[in-house]
Amino acid sequence: MNNHTNNDNVTVRTIDLVQKGLARRYKSEKRFKMIGLCAIIFSLLCLAGLFVSISGSGYTAFLQTKIELDVFLDPSVLNPNNLSGADFHGLVKRSFYNMFPEVKDRREKKKLFSLLSSGATYDLTDFVKANPGKIGETILLWVPADDDVDMLIKGHMNRDLPESERRLDDVQVSWITRLEKQAKIEKKFNTTFFTAGDSREPELAGIWGATCGSFYTLFITLVLSFPIGVAAAVYLEEFARKNRFTDVIEVNINNLAAVPSIVFGLLGLAVFLNFLGLPRSSSLVGGLVLSLMTLPTIIIAGRAALKSVPPSIREAALGVGASKTQMVAHHVLPLAMPGILTGTIIGMARALGETAPLLMIGMVAFIVDIPAGFTDPSTVLPVQIFLWADSPERAFMEKTSAAIMVLLLFLVVMNSAAVFLRKKYEQRW
Amino acid sequence: MPESPTPIKRRNQLVDRNIRDTVGQSSVPNPRMRCKNVSVYYNFGEKKAINNISLDIGQNEVIAMIGPSGCGKSTFIRCLNRMNDTIDGCRVEGQILLDETDIYDKKIDVVPLRAQVGMVFQKPNPFPKSIYDNIAYGPKIHGLVQNRQETDEVVEKSLKRAGLWNEVKDRLNQPGTGLSGGQQQRLCIARTIAVNPEVILMDEPCSALDPIATSIIEELIDELKQEYSIAIVTHSMQQASRVSQRTAYFHMGDLIEIGPTEQIFLNPLHELTNDYITGRFG
Amino acid sequence: MKKVLLNVWVLVFIMGVGYVHAKSRDYISIVGSSTVYPFATVVAETFGKTTKFKTPKIESTGSGGGHKLFGSGVGVQYPDITNSSRRIKKSEVEKAAANGINEIVEVKIGYDGIVIANSKKAALMDLSVKDLFLALAASVPNPDGTPTVVPNPYKTWKSINAKLPEIAVEVLGPPPTSGTRDAFVELVMDEGGKKFDFINAMEKTDKKQFKTICRTIREDGAYIEAGENDNLIVQKLEANPNALGIFGFSFLDQNIDKIQGSSIDGVQPVFEAIANGSYPVSRPLLFYVKKAHVDQIPGIREFLKEFTSEKAWGSEGYLTDKGLIPMSADERKKYYDIANNLIPLNPSDL
Repeated sequence: MNNHTNNDNVTVRTIDLVQKGLARRYKSEKRFKMIGLCAIIFSLLCLAGLFVSISGSGYTAFLQTKIELDVFLDPSVLNPNNLSGADFHGLVKRSFYNMFPEVKDRREKKKLFSLLSSGATYDLTDFVKANPGKIGETILLWVPADDDVDMLIKGHMNRDLPESERRLDDVQVSWITRLEKQAKIEKKFNTTFFTAGDSREPELAGIWGATCGSFYTLFITLVLSFPIGVAAAVYLEEFARKNRFTDVIEVNINNLAAVPSIVFGLLGLAVFLNFLGLPRSSSLVGGLVLSLMTLPTIIIAGRAALKSVPPSIREAALGVGASKTQMVAHHVLPLAMPGILTGTIIGMARALGETAPLLMIGMVAFIVDIPAGFTDPSTVLPVQIFLWADSPERAFMEKTSAAIMVLLLFLVVMNSAAVFLRKKYEQRW
Repeated sequence: MPESPTPIKRRNQLVDRNIRDTVGQSSVPNPRMRCKNVSVYYNFGEKKAINNISLDIGQNEVIAMIGPSGCGKSTFIRCLNRMNDTIDGCRVEGQILLDETDIYDKKIDVVPLRAQVGMVFQKPNPFPKSIYDNIAYGPKIHGLVQNRQETDEVVEKSLKRAGLWNEVKDRLNQPGTGLSGGQQQRLCIARTIAVNPEVILMDEPCSALDPIATSIIEELIDELKQEYSIAIVTHSMQQASRVSQRTAYFHMGDLIEIGPTEQIFLNPLHELTNDYITGRFG
Repeated sequence: MKKVLLNVWVLVFIMGVGYVHAKSRDYISIVGSSTVYPFATVVAETFGKTTKFKTPKIESTGSGGGHKLFGSGVGVQYPDITNSSRRIKKSEVEKAAANGINEIVEVKIGYDGIVIANSKKAALMDLSVKDLFLALAASVPNPDGTPTVVPNPYKTWKSINAKLPEIAVEVLGPPPTSGTRDAFVELVMDEGGKKFDFINAMEKTDKKQFKTICRTIREDGAYIEAGENDNLIVQKLEANPNALGIFGFSFLDQNIDKIQGSSIDGVQPVFEAIANGSYPVSRPLLFYVKKAHVDQIPGIREFLKEFTSEKAWGSEGYLTDKGLIPMSADERKKYYDIANNLIPLNPSDL
């Protein structure tokens, strides 16, 4: 096919053979690159889709419909010396009815009052307790509206549908329209969502309790699993003799890393709750259980990281007369730290998203109060998401998405911390 | 009491290559280290790496160990500060005496031993820390320095001894790994002499370096022998002839011949040595 | 430095465990039924916000799980109250007694009714549990009368019962994961099956076989699992007047303008009928209080007071807004007294 080979029987030059196959080689290389690129694009698209759909349905949760009330802080109702016993509920009711003087019928009044959240009373109570000097004056107070009103204002409930097809009837909608005209109803930034614990009323439910719970739980997990995991990895990798016994341990650790997390929950129930008698539902026990789950991950990552430290560094340290412990502590461990941290973060991220083992130790629970310590009953972010997703009220749907956003944010913060630490400690040799 | 020397033979009367007993003068008066019948086994005794080697390292001398790859010279030198302890399944037989004590005695602690017998490795391996910390590390862990001032002095002195001071004095806080290969190796030598050892072991210290860096290191070795005894393993016969006073030729785990460097290179006694130095070895 | 850190860490941990052990609990711990969960949580939240006590912690463990935890013992690590969508079993009381729990206060809070409803555009159905069993079981007694079961042959309501209209059997209902489904098979399918003598006899002789027959719902398309969302079922019923739907009473109550509840065994699913127990597909909702914990755990008395107050469980109370069917005034009076005077349950009543 080419002159060179036809002319005479001179041996074929290598370069010609190479050239012949070159196009095919480049093509397959290109194909491989394309496949990789497609995989990346596909996963990015999935991720983007997830983010868009979650933030699309969740961003509205950061706003909350509020209604402005003119409240006359009646001195005859509010006795500054005994505020706890005062009828704040009645005061809110009276103030709201005053805005609709034409509503007289008892049933109608009930319908009207149902537009306000039960949180209105608590808001007023808090306000008066914080400003006892205002008693006797008329104040303007923005109080949360009921979740149905919130849904209507946010457009999740269609006003144009016939009355029988929505949860608020025509009269209620007309009242809301009137409030809108008077600019007495408005969407405001939902601080409650970031400061409150769980609630059965969507407009009063917040993520702070679960965030604190997650924080406490992960703190315990980190404080326990990191030192124990690193110590175990160092011992196994640097000090333990390589024999049957360590082989058995290694196999078991690898197996533990693959054990379904619910098993750790059962173990936690048996050991920490029933045997040690630690408080149920507490972040302490949650952290203990999750650290059991995280330990194998950290040990495996730690051993891999220790193994990858070049032997020349070990020899250098031993050569100047460092003891084995000094060699490990001064040279090997710092060099392995980035790898260990990566493993730790992967383990912690898994722990952050875990619900199954927490079910067994009572952390899947309705908890309103913000946990103040490690022994207080608490729940964690993924459990909160699970509980809200299961709630019948329509307004919990957006809360669920918003909680997922908070969880993702938590994850991003954790991962960036890991990247930062890794960069800081990364050394070249 | 030195052992009786093997009778010196004329050049055309080389010892038959099948005879594996050491020929030449293996002992010196007042040795710094004395090895008697040292054998090393790997893989829990399955493989014998070196066989029954006796050899002295004298005061303030440079002894070079040469031989083809896999002849056991590195294994041998690593026995001298018990570096082989780190290898699983490695066992050393025989005696290695340092100041009349067997370093393989159960009572001997390897940490002070390694302070006494320092080591420089084939590939420059500075710690991934600053130049200053590289030098200061040894003295610090051994408690040779008490404060910053003393540390500064030791660092300066060691770097000067290693001939590196002028090149790095302005960047002591920069990483040691940022230096050139030759500089790194001198840094490692400086790190070794910072703990003031009595013997320095060098395992092919120049094999990763270019000729200029090599010659600088060779000069340095020559100077260092004023204060230290040095054992150096090398692939380069030229290097051995340049820096050493005595040379030992290893072959497949045996010490074939040992003697004054000049004699080994000009007038070897053993046929194997002769083959090796004349380049007839494959 | 690292050693010091390690020591501090160990010390803190040991102290922590010791401290936790010594500490008592200052909040009420509630476990149990997921059916009662939505009501108990509302009461707990109101209680937490209106009193000086902490908000009780409520876990949804299911009735059985709740009784198991509740009956494990006396002490701060065990729950104070368990919610239940059925009465406590004798075996559970005995187990609790074996663990030192001798006095249990039983408080009924109301009822939960399950309705079978269709669109208002269609005719009202008059069903019996037997009709429902024949319509929905995967295998039914042989129509020729022999005591064997055959795969469900019925396609229309009329073929089941001549009084019923000539429309195809099409029922929208909850999936097996739902508590409503559990209650439905227990209250309707089991009872319907028992109307046949040979199946009834089977309950004694071969319980497993009995359950297989009664509790397996047909999968040939006549029963459509509509997900847990009852609102969705209501919408679908509106669109398809021939379909029936199964869901909790509160959805019928809230959508009474759109759908109607079929009468079962001649009883209409109305408030009063469910409350007085004449409507067959209803069950009581209860909770059980460990008397030994009262006054040990702060707030139990006050919590009971809140739960049994008229503003909570009364016919106009906030629990009815969440879908609870309240008891009659007499019954409320009875359980108010039991709850507030902590009159323990007499095991022989079970």
